[in-house]
Amino acid sequence: MRFFDSHVHMVSRTTDDYQRMAAAGVTAIIEPSFWQGQPRTEPGTFKDYFNSLIGFERFRASQFGIKHYCTIGLNPKEANNEKLAEAVLELMPLYICKEGVVGIGEIGYDDQTKAEEKYLIKQAELALEADLPIQIHTPHRDKKKGTIRTMDVLEDVGIDPSKVIIDHNNEETVKEVLDRGYWTAFTIYPHTKLGNQRMVELMLEYGGENIVIDSAADWGISDPLAVPKTAALMKERGISLEEIEQVTYHNPLKAYGQSGQVEESDWDDSEGIDPAALFEGNTLLRGGMDVETAMSQYTIE
Amino acid sequence: MRERLIEILGKTSDPEAVAWLQQTVDEQGKSFQQRPFYYAFSGVSRRFDKKATTDAGVGQLTFLSKTAPGFTVAGWDEFRLARVILLTVLAEQEKDIFLENLKALIGTADLREQVAIFSAFPLLPHPAALVEFATDGLRSNIIDIFDSISLNNPFASENFTDEAWNQMVLKAIFITRPLYRIVGHGERTNLALAEAISDLAHERWAAGRTITPEAWRSCTNFLDERISGDIAKMAGSSEANDRSAAALVVSTAEGKLDSLKDRLSKEIAAIESGELTWHSLGQTVEEQLIRKSLT
Repeated sequence: MRFFDSHVHMVSRTTDDYQRMAAAGVTAIIEPSFWQGQPRTEPGTFKDYFNSLIGFERFRASQFGIKHYCTIGLNPKEANNEKLAEAVLELMPLYICKEGVVGIGEIGYDDQTKAEEKYLIKQAELALEADLPIQIHTPHRDKKKGTIRTMDVLEDVGIDPSKVIIDHNNEETVKEVLDRGYWTAFTIYPHTKLGNQRMVELMLEYGGENIVIDSAADWGISDPLAVPKTAALMKERGISLEEIEQVTYHNPLKAYGQSGQVEESDWDDSEGIDPAALFEGNTLLRGGMDVETAMSQYTIE
Repeated sequence: MRERLIEILGKTSDPEAVAWLQQTVDEQGKSFQQRPFYYAFSGVSRRFDKKATTDAGVGQLTFLSKTAPGFTVAGWDEFRLARVILLTVLAEQEKDIFLENLKALIGTADLREQVAIFSAFPLLPHPAALVEFATDGLRSNIIDIFDSISLNNPFASENFTDEAWNQMVLKAIFITRPLYRIVGHGERTNLALAEAISDLAHERWAAGRTITPEAWRSCTNFLDERISGDIAKMAGSSEANDRSAAALVVSTAEGKLDSLKDRLSKEIAAIESGELTWHSLGQTVEEQLIRKSLT
């Protein structure tokens, strides 16, 4: 089985992760622009970060036979530094129409400040101008209100909900987000966001339509195998293969495919890389890979 | 020139994409606007086939190389040609606007965009201001970017200082690029380059490795004792390509290396019949390398 993880911050992950993801069937990934754990203070660091998303990280993924795409955006935390935010907004037009850039993201609210709203609107307008999907980060605190407010703001700008992927949903937000016609994404995250047993319950209640599952693995405790592990758990719990494929592969492809920058033929037609052949005799394969163990414990609490 | 490039692109590309490009060129030519230009430059990837190669005819290629000596689009993909066409519009703007935007584009370009930008250099104005971009680009470890500046591109031979030229040629040798495709490789050389090539060869030999036989072309006019010894070593090599290179040096050495002629009689006959040239040797070496990398 193959998977499309539409939210994963690979710049923070190691080659071990790439190996395990490839072995577990992760075929394509999207890396949203994100904050890096501490605030950036200069626009130039954003430029280099964006360059790494369209450059080295793409290359690194390709070395493991994984197709790497990205979304470009100013995250809400850093939107509160307005001088910086303005400079990043100036920079974004240079990136958003590039090959393999599948949306504006991840954008949205963090503290739900005025500055965050200003740059959410500005970036939504950019998405409209460049005809790109939007990847929404919903806030950790006051999530339900923040999610609803995000949708209200986007609709005011004139954004079509079918071009928006709202991420980090939970049991409290799912119904309204689905009802309003948005792609509804769930981040399977140990401890803080949503374990995959809860995700299975959600699938049993809502089905697979317009639902997307991702890992959002980053520099904190998180699991880059969250998508394949959740698929395995769903199978065990009797969810149909068709529905599993829908939420772990076809839906993210359809949602971000609206950019015209990602399609199945990107990996179906490519000659691909055989990681085993590539790393033959290389230290990377020495003992580190234990996919079977990793895959046998697919519950994330 | 631009009309001819659009005509070449039109041979293979989707007519709608070409119409969009033409319209963009017309609009931006009338009134240059930064953001739409950025969108168009990147957005080439949304309009053209990402895997398609252009197919310029012999007449078209001849026209290009006559209009801008040494310039060619042979083997280019559609993205590259479409972006170079757009850059010819940026080239018509005032110097400050041109340089400011070119800098922004280079500083944020993905791999294929960088290749296109460097490929356009022979068609752009203010070459002195572009040299630094090119020498910076050559520091890349990405072969496609290095190649876009160093191979089939007349910009370096026309604009580089000796120091920059030598760096480029040496790196091309170091990473085994096809030197016959460096525009000006046969004409432009100097003592420092010849000595550096000899030094590199000695280092390689000490490590039990070899150097591309094409490298010796830059040493032709600098046959001091040490380099003459190197050529003699090549003349005695068990590799046919090394002997060919030695013979090519000997054939223009004006008597200096006549003692090697007996050993190289077969190769010298091939040179006299026109069968062996630096160009043909370069092609042979490149074909062998490609075959080797495929097996």
